[in-house]
Amino acid sequence: MRRYILLFQLILIFTTVFSADKGKIEVPLRFDRYYNYEEVVEALKVLNKAFPELTKLDVVGKSEEGREIYALTINNPKTGEPLSKPGVYVDGNIHGNEIQAGEVCLYYANMLLTKYGENDKITKVVDKNAHYIIPVVNVDGRYHFFTDANTPSSNRSIRVPRDDDGDGLVDEDGYDDLDGDGNICQMRIKDPFGAYKVDPEDKRIMVRIKPGEQGEYTLLGFEGIDNDGDGKLNEDGEGYLDANRNWGYNWMPSYVQSGAGNFPLSGIGLKAINDYITARPNIIIGFAFHNNGGMWLRVPSEKSIYVDPSDIAAYDVIGKEALKITPGYVYQASYDLYVTYGDFDSHLFYINGAFSFTGELFQRESETYREDVKKSQQPGNEADLPRELLKFNDKVAQGELYKEWKKFIHPTYGEIEIGGWVKMSSRLPHPFMLPELVHRNASVVLLAADNTPEITMEVFDVKKIGKELHQVRVRLQNKKGLPTMSANSVKTKLYPQDMLKVSGGKVVAGGKINDARINKVTYKEKKPEIQFLAIPSYGVAEYQFLIEGKGEIIFNYSSLKAKCATASVKL
Amino acid sequence: MYKNLLTIFLLCLFVVSIESLDAQNGISFEKYHNNNEVQQILKNLQQNHPAQIQLHAIATSPGGEAITVIEIGKNSELDPAVFVGANFEGNYPLATEGALGLVKMLLDSSKYTSGLKWYILPLPNPDASKGYFSGLKYDRTVNDFPINNDVDESLNEDGFEDLNGDGLITQMRVKDLTGTYIASKIDPRIMVPADVKKNERGEYKLYTEGIDNDGDGEYNEDGEGGINVGIAFPHLFPKNKKEAGLWPGQTPEVYGIMKFIYDRPNIAMVYTLGSSNFCLLPPKGGRKGEANPESIKIPNRFATMLGADPSRSYTMNEVIELLKLVLPANVEATPSLVSGYLGLGAAVNPMEDDLKFYTRLSEDYKNYLKNKSFSIETLDPSADKDGSFELWAYYQLGVPSFSMNLFSVPKVKEEKKTEKGAELPEKVEKKNPDELSVKDKSLLAYSEKEFGGKGFVPWQKYSHPTLGEVEIGGFVPYLESTPKPEKIDSLLKIQLPWLLQLSKKLPDISFADEKVTDMGGGVFKLELYVGNKGYLPYPTSIGERNKQPAPVVVVLDGDIDLLEGLKRTPLGSIGGNQVKKLTWLVKMDKKPTISVKLESTVFGSEVKQIKIGG
Repeated sequence: MRRYILLFQLILIFTTVFSADKGKIEVPLRFDRYYNYEEVVEALKVLNKAFPELTKLDVVGKSEEGREIYALTINNPKTGEPLSKPGVYVDGNIHGNEIQAGEVCLYYANMLLTKYGENDKITKVVDKNAHYIIPVVNVDGRYHFFTDANTPSSNRSIRVPRDDDGDGLVDEDGYDDLDGDGNICQMRIKDPFGAYKVDPEDKRIMVRIKPGEQGEYTLLGFEGIDNDGDGKLNEDGEGYLDANRNWGYNWMPSYVQSGAGNFPLSGIGLKAINDYITARPNIIIGFAFHNNGGMWLRVPSEKSIYVDPSDIAAYDVIGKEALKITPGYVYQASYDLYVTYGDFDSHLFYINGAFSFTGELFQRESETYREDVKKSQQPGNEADLPRELLKFNDKVAQGELYKEWKKFIHPTYGEIEIGGWVKMSSRLPHPFMLPELVHRNASVVLLAADNTPEITMEVFDVKKIGKELHQVRVRLQNKKGLPTMSANSVKTKLYPQDMLKVSGGKVVAGGKINDARINKVTYKEKKPEIQFLAIPSYGVAEYQFLIEGKGEIIFNYSSLKAKCATASVKL
Repeated sequence: MYKNLLTIFLLCLFVVSIESLDAQNGISFEKYHNNNEVQQILKNLQQNHPAQIQLHAIATSPGGEAITVIEIGKNSELDPAVFVGANFEGNYPLATEGALGLVKMLLDSSKYTSGLKWYILPLPNPDASKGYFSGLKYDRTVNDFPINNDVDESLNEDGFEDLNGDGLITQMRVKDLTGTYIASKIDPRIMVPADVKKNERGEYKLYTEGIDNDGDGEYNEDGEGGINVGIAFPHLFPKNKKEAGLWPGQTPEVYGIMKFIYDRPNIAMVYTLGSSNFCLLPPKGGRKGEANPESIKIPNRFATMLGADPSRSYTMNEVIELLKLVLPANVEATPSLVSGYLGLGAAVNPMEDDLKFYTRLSEDYKNYLKNKSFSIETLDPSADKDGSFELWAYYQLGVPSFSMNLFSVPKVKEEKKTEKGAELPEKVEKKNPDELSVKDKSLLAYSEKEFGGKGFVPWQKYSHPTLGEVEIGGFVPYLESTPKPEKIDSLLKIQLPWLLQLSKKLPDISFADEKVTDMGGGVFKLELYVGNKGYLPYPTSIGERNKQPAPVVVVLDGDIDLLEGLKRTPLGSIGGNQVKKLTWLVKMDKKPTISVKLESTVFGSEVKQIKIGG
């Protein structure tokens, strides 16, 4: 009887905390809770309705299961059309289980909109940039993560069926929620010859026996049965197309990169997002939020891929600062974590010419239960971390993150026990920790938006050097940390460089000033009235023109990813 | 003599029988067909054979052209299929005719359509194919996808111009102090690089015919388009080439073709008509940088994690065993996981076992051509190109991929001065250092013989707006790839039947035998023999590596208790003309028969009842 009461209590806990009515969704949005797929959509609609001037809500496309993928654009029309401004792209939840990434995106939108006009810094980036926000990329994954029983790591993929175990059937042997509690936990069976015993300090923890010791348990893996009778448990679950291995740049087939899908952008929702991004060539910075581990990852995702040192320097402007905003994170090239092919960040950088970051949200070490948070783990005792995590669960999270081991009669194994970390644990912060996580990470996006290029142009020197001939010098300055164009885009001729066009007089010669003091200029051989350039991070670019004629000379600077600028001079 | 007469007689019969079907099938091969005509032919065929033919609109090109696959055998849902694609680069109109020719042959006889479905794509790159039919002929390979080739302020602003008004884009040669070319001493029509070591001084610069429309000093560097569909597939995608696009599938033709093929797992073989010829020359090997999965080095940082020695080499199975020890219980160690983590990369050279059947079949093909008195003393077909459809089909679909180029210019025989008994072998090989290349010689000879010299536009003076006095001339576009229309019919009739014959080499998997042994106590040993009566293996060796072709599975059904073995047993790979044995140990109490099914998404299913225990 007691068992049933406990079960009842557990069900009550999970339903109340994670899926019951959490109140009306209204502006400002709340972040002490998680939003399921429908609620994310509702939240976006609410924001859109509250800020009709500043926002636009688009359906980018549909997923494999027909759910709509939404993008919220934040742009102040009074300061220009979105395409005329540096674009900031933010997405999340490309992996279905990594849900707090969606909350970061919602928070970023909520912060920009609710503090516009109140906070100077926020007002500035709302006025300066076009912000494109797709809180949930893998909409089916988010839906199923909330609705179905899951482990903290399952339901990652896009729902393209795949025969994982090579038996000719697809997705026929996934997890099974044997005890019906909405979580896929662990199974253990009493076994005097097993390789595990319980930790003497906390009997919930399984530790490996030392050689010669008597075992107590065998671990049977995640909750489930052998649905297809092949002697393996849970080996062919839902999907599998990894949405972060299916992009076009450096895509490799499944036998090289698992989860790659059949061909680049075979995921229809991903293809739609690619089309959405392609139609917005002004995007200069992009964030894709994931969980977990606390990392800022930049390109390249494979060691042999070249990144220009000046591009790394531009990345560093944000990456190194981000480390301080999100303490405990590491900032590194993504191949340092592991090699990936067909990842979104590389596509964004090498195909769309935008600086791209992966944000790996949440470090489990922040689930502390101790006096001194700086105290590091004692090395050598494998149970130290789980002990503390369980104490955190018991004393701080009120037991919501862990399911106590409980007897169950398994159709194959007979009497076993089921227990362990629930799906809303391990990779997700407890809702009480969510507000800080979303705020700090959204602040990094804000930092990046603030660092998108701001170009000023001035005519800084005019000299008459002949009858009807003037030497005019123009300076373009970038006051921010991101260049107007990545060095890679210039090198690979990804798209036309920024242009400086002179009109109003005949340009006899024109070119880049290498050293203004000794008048060293590289003149462009043909068409000197159009100069191609990119303005580096915190850099200047100076040009000299020899112009024949009189009257007003106009200099137009235009860029795909930075705002245009104009200057003029009367000769 | 009699034999020759007989051949002629038979040929006549063949020709007559084909001609008589023209009206009904609406295809004739007196000319090359543009996309409008191709689409119309396909529509007519569908209307004439509604039970057999289905058309699939798989994409629209950036230029708005329809791209259609014709399916022959729509009534046979469970059959394996051959996919045929032709003219991916758009500059091989003969390949499109080849695809239409194949359609016709398949409709003429049911020999190759019973138990086999065909998907034929005659023109995957219709935008580029416009180049052949337009008033201004150049070897166009790119579609209308907007690409700013010279990354300046405007798009497609500097294409070719037909300055001399002959409808052809040839070359311009200009006397220039900094030129690096001279006219060949053997044949002054041919321009060759000056060899300064031989005290030659460059006299000419070479340009393609046209003007510098955008005034940037470059000639014809940003014409119409585009992406070359024929080099835009994902295997060895040439990411540094503008004409490949930015990623494989960026252009809708390629995306549509890949989707169409992956939606049909019954496609068991792929043919490509174009510039390479895997029927004659197996896919090339020797590419560097390939990881050998049987000899893997484990980098330091992983070695520590796995407890491995970074200085020695491991086999894939050894790495998997090491990995199993450190992976969590729920993560399966697979070769794909290993290659991913260690960054082993893709296969880039054909697998040894596959080269065996390629080589053997190419010998057979040479004999086949010899019997038809068809000379292969021609210029070599092009090597397979990175990003090509035929390479993708082999490496990523993992199916046998055969290509054919249908036409090559006859090779001018090298005059070998073999001095018998010469002491110094170098002397024998020595030839005139100014000799033209075999290709140039052959093309000139071919132009002379077939076109009365019109395959080469003689250099003619022209007053160019920016270059001053130039001469315009050179080989005519499409000379190399596209014979006179009157040749089409015979080229197809001789070569295409080989592709039909090859389709009979497909794997043919079925039950061969069975054996039941009573072990006593209601326990039986069941041995099943499954054979491949076809010549080709299933899957290919590369297919085994990339796990792409769907498995053939043996499924047991009935009231049985399996003591050993699985209800669903993947057959694994099976070579041509090979039989495999599968064994189960079963305990049976009641029903004396069980049903055994051979299940495959490619070859369909076969069911058989086996009596156990009488």
